[in-house]
Amino acid sequence: MPQTLQASQGLRLIAHFDLCTGCEICQLVCSERLCGGFNPRLAALRIEHKRENLVHEPILCEQCQNPFCQNVCPVQAIGPDEGTGARVIDPDTCIGCGLCAKYCPRQVIAYNKQTGKSVKCDLCNGDPLCVRACPTGALELIVQGGEHA
Amino acid sequence: MPKAYMGKFLFVDLNSRTSWTQEVPEWMRLNLMGGKGFGAKLLTDLIPAGCDPFGPENPLMVMTGPLTGTSAPSMRGCVVTKSPLTGTFLDSYFGGYFSPEIKYAGYDGLIILGQAQEPVYLWIDDETIEVRPAKHLWGQDALEANESIKTELKDQTVKILSIGPAGENGVLYSLISCEYNRQAGRGGAGAVMGSKQLKAIAVRGSQTVTIQDSDAFRRAVLQANTELEQSEDVQAMRDGGTAPAVDFANETGLLPCRNFQDGTFEQASNLSDVGQSKHLWLSSAACMGCPIRCSKMGAVRTGKYAGFITDIVEYESAALMGSNLGIADVRAVAHLVKLCDRFGMDSMSTGGVIGFAMEAGERGFIESPNGITLEFGNVQAAEYLIRSIAFVDNDLGKILAQGVKRAAAALGGDASAFAQHVKGLESPAWGPRGAAGTGLAFMTADRGGCHQRGLPAPLEVTGGEWEGKPVQALAVEGKAAMLISMQNYLAGTDTLVKCDFGGFGIQPETYAALLTAATGETHFAEEFDQLGERIWNLTRQFNLREGLDPADDTLPKRFIQDPLPSGPFKGHHFSVQDMAYMVKDYYALRGWDETGQPTTETLKQVGVQDLPVFEKKRH
Repeated sequence: MPQTLQASQGLRLIAHFDLCTGCEICQLVCSERLCGGFNPRLAALRIEHKRENLVHEPILCEQCQNPFCQNVCPVQAIGPDEGTGARVIDPDTCIGCGLCAKYCPRQVIAYNKQTGKSVKCDLCNGDPLCVRACPTGALELIVQGGEHA
Repeated sequence: MPKAYMGKFLFVDLNSRTSWTQEVPEWMRLNLMGGKGFGAKLLTDLIPAGCDPFGPENPLMVMTGPLTGTSAPSMRGCVVTKSPLTGTFLDSYFGGYFSPEIKYAGYDGLIILGQAQEPVYLWIDDETIEVRPAKHLWGQDALEANESIKTELKDQTVKILSIGPAGENGVLYSLISCEYNRQAGRGGAGAVMGSKQLKAIAVRGSQTVTIQDSDAFRRAVLQANTELEQSEDVQAMRDGGTAPAVDFANETGLLPCRNFQDGTFEQASNLSDVGQSKHLWLSSAACMGCPIRCSKMGAVRTGKYAGFITDIVEYESAALMGSNLGIADVRAVAHLVKLCDRFGMDSMSTGGVIGFAMEAGERGFIESPNGITLEFGNVQAAEYLIRSIAFVDNDLGKILAQGVKRAAAALGGDASAFAQHVKGLESPAWGPRGAAGTGLAFMTADRGGCHQRGLPAPLEVTGGEWEGKPVQALAVEGKAAMLISMQNYLAGTDTLVKCDFGGFGIQPETYAALLTAATGETHFAEEFDQLGERIWNLTRQFNLREGLDPADDTLPKRFIQDPLPSGPFKGHHFSVQDMAYMVKDYYALRGWDETGQPTTETLKQVGVQDLPVFEKKRH
């Protein structure tokens, strides 16, 4: 079910790297949604395969509190989504200059060649495809700034 | 060209250092789908009859299928070439991450011709093709070369095929190491790559594989995933990969022990998931796009070989490098298999070769080298032989690097009585003396002694059912029909290119639904059987053209001459009559004449006869 914004800092994805098998299904489904076809390089998340594939580390858009993508955008195309708090790109404003991708600290912003626009994680409006598609539960959508034990 | 395909092959000629693309002809796509189908036809059409596998005309091809690189679960790629080990058709399948990248770079397949004048590697960056010097990489092991190239290209995400020293040195059962540490293992494709002085192929692609009907495709993927989740076989793969097969094969008398002298091994559990989970495993890993995650990653942490990361020791390797050599320490077996992976040689054939050498040593055919005793159970001897073979730096290594068939001929006497191979390809880890149809499977597999072209063994030894009737392990009646059905379906779906383990769950209707949604062209569940039958005749024709003697549709002498000493099928061996019965039945059902040649009517009927010839544009 789609989550909605419950805390001032919004929603974000987290990864349980110890459950990740490196299958990149998350990237496949993400790339298809964002770029209209399959290619894990064109997803708004990626997996680093480490130590001969003994360890797989998902690298996610953290919906930064200090969002470089938003800060470097020359046309103010990036801002928080009202529903989820995710930093989203307004495709009508985006000029496809790629600065957001270049300066993204996690290197998880892609470019859609067909539309000529940058694409980033928008949390699929609160029901992320990657979370749904992950076969092991290695990805989770959480509410930032929530109650902690 | 419908969606899901990229629509073209990339040709690279290493002689002239040129490259070009050619469209995938519509007739080829409609009649042969992809993967194995494309490979079989291209090999037939591109090489002159009787060409030297190490000659420049022999293409090294890497083929994908229409579903490769999509979210359709559990797809792979295949290497196709003429095998230097068997002299016949070779298709070798691999998982991992490489095959989708071919499509992302814009191609349905890579076709590499010619021979470089000095060591090179190929760098395919979308449409930019570079033949780069690789003198500095020559001599590196397969995994070192992978790392070196990523460093050189300053990109850890590049996907790489590489060979190790064995491939460079022409060891006839050299493998290609596929991103990452997955192997196109059997039949010596790595040696073909080495003969081209091609150390590696690196690919990076920025294009997308697109789908005609995304909603229908998503539904079909969900259906496929549901079928995987519902399959007990798939769940078993998820829990323990292929390792539990060691105990299964031991209990059913199929496990190779001491060069197939026996079919059971007392310490089998040490080598199965029981031993591996205790001593090795730490995590599960998956090939790209696969929810099964059959690979169990781990490390050897303690003991003499401590300090390296190891993948699961797959059943075939655990059996052929373990029980087949009388070695029960799974950490030692993991060490030996990792050496094979690094040096770039097929751990199955290597296990068969070492088993042969150990028996030859015990029987006095080979004098043990200085300080090494060639006898079963000796890990040090196994390691010595692996190094001797990979580097061919001594006489024994030179003989054994040619495989057991040629090694037996070189040793002379009755050494061929314990050379375990079919048509030169070392036997897989299923001693078939208690499973008649499995024997027939090895006799007729299109690349020689192979268990992946149809394996009736699990049905035969468990009294399973086939088409509603119980299967009798030792019966010869009906085995040809059952096997042909398996061979056709597997060859048909090897065009996708599907993983065999995915096929344990995913139904033919679902593969068809995936294809229909992806391409926008209607596909049917039944077409895989027809496609497989067509391909099976195509590869048979190719093999006969290249000199296959149908008299070699037979089994290693041991399975005929030596009764099984233990297990539930103790005392059984193949009789010449039983083999003749099954082969005759098999030829007749295939529509081949009594000498094993497809008849003209059959070739017409299955759609081989009237296929056009694929012509490459440049020479």
